[in-house]
Amino acid sequence: MKMKKFIALGMAGMLSAATLVGCDKGGATTPTPTPDDNGGSTATSTTTPDDGGDVVVEEEKEYSEDEIVNWTMFIAMPGSEINDGNDVQEIIAKKTGVRVKETWLTGQTAAEAVGSILASGELPTFIDAGEGFKELYEADTLVAWDPYLEKYPNLKEMYSDYEWDMFRQDDGKIYWANVFNNTYGESKATGHNDEAFWIQVRVLEEFGYPEVKTLDDYFDLLEKYYAAHPNFVDPEGNTIDIIPYTILCDDWRYFCLENAGQFLDGYPNDGSVIVDPKTMKIVDYNTTPTTKTYFAKLNEEYNKGMIDKEFATQKYDDYISKLSTGAVLGMVDQNWDFNYTITPAFASSGLADLGCEYVPLGLTVEGVTEQRWHTYGDTVNASSGCAVTTSCEDPDRAFKFLSDLLNQDIHDLRYWGVEGVDYLVDEDGMYYRTQEMRDKLNDTSYKASHVCNYSYMPQWLGTSKDGKNAMQPAEQASEFYAGLSEPLANCFKAYNAGGYPDMIGSVEEDVNATHPWFPMWSWSNELNNDTPGGVAWGKMGETKHKWLPAVVMSKDFEGEWAKYMDAYSACKPEDFLNEAQGVLDDRMAAYNASK
Amino acid sequence: MANEADQIVNTEEAAVENEINAEAETTETAAETVIAENVETVTETAESTEENAVDAAYQVENYAKEAIEHESTLSEAQIKALSKKRISKGELKRQWILLAIGFIFVLYGLLFYYLPLGGWIMAFQNYKLKTGLFHSKFVGFDKFKFMFEFDVFEWGMETTGNFFKAMKIWIDKVVFVRAIRNTLGMGILNLATTFIMAIVFAILLNEVKNKLGKRLVQTISYLPHFLSWIIVCGIVHDSLSGTGIVNELLRLFHIVDDSYNFFAHPGWFWPIVAFANVWKETGWNAIIYLAAITAIDPSLYEAAEIDGAGRWGKIRYITLPSIAPTIVILLVMNLGNLLNCGFEVQYLLGNGLVQDVAQTIDIYVLNWGVGQMDYSLGTAAGIFKSVVAIILILIFNTVAKKLGQESLF
Repeated sequence: MKMKKFIALGMAGMLSAATLVGCDKGGATTPTPTPDDNGGSTATSTTTPDDGGDVVVEEEKEYSEDEIVNWTMFIAMPGSEINDGNDVQEIIAKKTGVRVKETWLTGQTAAEAVGSILASGELPTFIDAGEGFKELYEADTLVAWDPYLEKYPNLKEMYSDYEWDMFRQDDGKIYWANVFNNTYGESKATGHNDEAFWIQVRVLEEFGYPEVKTLDDYFDLLEKYYAAHPNFVDPEGNTIDIIPYTILCDDWRYFCLENAGQFLDGYPNDGSVIVDPKTMKIVDYNTTPTTKTYFAKLNEEYNKGMIDKEFATQKYDDYISKLSTGAVLGMVDQNWDFNYTITPAFASSGLADLGCEYVPLGLTVEGVTEQRWHTYGDTVNASSGCAVTTSCEDPDRAFKFLSDLLNQDIHDLRYWGVEGVDYLVDEDGMYYRTQEMRDKLNDTSYKASHVCNYSYMPQWLGTSKDGKNAMQPAEQASEFYAGLSEPLANCFKAYNAGGYPDMIGSVEEDVNATHPWFPMWSWSNELNNDTPGGVAWGKMGETKHKWLPAVVMSKDFEGEWAKYMDAYSACKPEDFLNEAQGVLDDRMAAYNASK
Repeated sequence: MANEADQIVNTEEAAVENEINAEAETTETAAETVIAENVETVTETAESTEENAVDAAYQVENYAKEAIEHESTLSEAQIKALSKKRISKGELKRQWILLAIGFIFVLYGLLFYYLPLGGWIMAFQNYKLKTGLFHSKFVGFDKFKFMFEFDVFEWGMETTGNFFKAMKIWIDKVVFVRAIRNTLGMGILNLATTFIMAIVFAILLNEVKNKLGKRLVQTISYLPHFLSWIIVCGIVHDSLSGTGIVNELLRLFHIVDDSYNFFAHPGWFWPIVAFANVWKETGWNAIIYLAAITAIDPSLYEAAEIDGAGRWGKIRYITLPSIAPTIVILLVMNLGNLLNCGFEVQYLLGNGLVQDVAQTIDIYVLNWGVGQMDYSLGTAAGIFKSVVAIILILIFNTVAKKLGQESLF
């Protein structure tokens, strides 16, 4: 009996021990993408590790597999991962000795994602933390660029000294550099990557490419088109009901609903506020008459049945899938928020040939003549960019890699692809693609296995170092026109537009000269609970999120608007606006001092 | 289920062991041998399969009662003497295995439950990543004040002079208070619906005579438990959307002319969440009740039948009273989880229009703690949640004790 008892107890002990072990394992075995450092020490040395005498040392060193380091990058923006063993990624890895696995934001906001990365302590080697950079900086997790800027002229060249200074943090060092909006040599811009009222080309075509200047013009067109065509047949033979207008207001993407007021009044995208350039005073666009007019219009259209009934409850995925059926005639959005997905989808489904592609319009309200939907000139967004984290065991090599990426041959590989496969060179040295190549590059699965942009690492727009081609194919004039579908090309011809910016027709001015404080959102994106303004900003966001859709869907606009204004003023927006004024004054003082 | 049953076994076992210790030093009574043997059988039963675990729990508990009865035969003086007596060396030697096992659990508890509580200090600091836990500035109860905005409530009291009206103003105006309301509301609704549905489902299933049909229904009904919330929310969202099956049916039967947008109306949000919970968890939660029902002595049913009880009578007078202890214990334990009523469902199904009823404490922590980089605020909200959970458990446990039902402690 005693023996039996012992055995039973022993078993119980083992069981509990097993449970414990199980628990511990469960906690610790989250997959850690530890950088493979077997090449970390050898790769930087220039001597070949082989001792055999018959090794031919090539002019351009090729890294072998065990010399290549595998690093990671997290980008706090949604994107699509490329396949392991991606062709171009492998070529770049052989040339630079570095392979970077990129991961993207999924289903969280940038701040949440960065918060959880910090909490877990598992930092990627490179990071673009978007709005979360302040947190990373405060946690001392970033490597300063300063010593490497002098060492690698490729990097130094990205910005002027004045611009580099904008990236400096409280401790006077640079920890990240924005990689976008940076033009090398002459600008070749043909795209509009920002916000606009977008409209399907077929709507414009139907009415003989009329001039669309105001909000009323725009909705008139949509109404007329919808009355004539309540549905259409897509290339696969499905009948699809037209949704004349939809508004995305899912989570942080509700800018598609809330901030059109500033543009309609003719101001550029300061994001969170309007800056009146005459008085240098901050204006709150949430309460301007124009914004009220805009929401009144949306309310009117909603009650006419012109606006998607489910706009307020749709998620981003619902929105994208609606757009990709070609059903939606128009909406406000940032180009980067939808067009990178929608353009290839339209091209492959044949909807592009039906004129479903979108062109941007620079709308205003009655009485406003100038508008600034498109921003001319490189704007430096100093609040985010590419950074190297302290988890990198060899920062020098990381910065060398970033510098290598800007070498023209590698830059071409990233954006143009492999010569002979993805592009050809004519006798004048101009790069071009055949239609077959373009079709192939529009195919998502081919892109995933072949193309590697490293799109959130240092890069150039503008003219290639050969002085002829564009740095990125989208800006190559021949490619731009050849890549357009027929309805889109006709539209550009009809409006005599050389590219998307011409479609909008914003005031052509170098924003750095005329708006030296620009953009205010680089400040407001970093706000947090530390200041009363930050708290107000958080509350304003919550309030607008709730009330704006309700205002649009209301049967009694004036009454609902008044309730919204009550709720809005309870958030103490003045705290936020006063802080904004302070930041504006500081920026102007710094600018005037540097002149 | 296994864990819960184990817990029961552990507590009860410990109780029995204590009794044994108390009596070990005294003269060998007949009672001791009875108990010792009982313990052995119980341990053996506990080792056997999961289904029997619940069974075992009852046995243990019966023996525990028996033990108490035996103890009461000892005189008061003896008990007094016992409680003063210190544990001897020989005793330690004899019980070393138990002590070693006990030590592992104590260590585990200290390491994973009590040590992390040290982080609560963040709630009273203005925590910054740069300064860390040890050098951040202490701000007392500022973070709690920021969350609750008591001045809004006071203002409400002053202007209306009515507690309930002031409460309403407070809930309307202060996000965190609203989050508490939503968490409690959805928690209670979810608990009530999933709890009742599981019991009803288990009893109904028990009445099915066809064995194959019973097994089939049971298996299918607990499958949704293994789906993650993101998938369940996707299904719910799609079926309730304008082109989803629900609206399709409503249109077909001419109940509505145009699609009804369920997610645009705050009134629908809580029922939808409760429904999703019921759909996902009913089958799974019913397992423990089914096990309890299986353990009921068939002779009771036979006796009831002889007394003229029909199906309904048997359910009412035999099945329900027999599983009542299980129900109460599970209710007490689930009450502690009341405030954990959810993050994913509300986060995934919510939108701007319904945020007033969709924001839970967890979502508040995410938006205002993590999102606004105010970790102290997040911690403060977490502390508040834990305190409320403990109070809830204590209240219900006392109530259960008073009513003569099972209780946790």
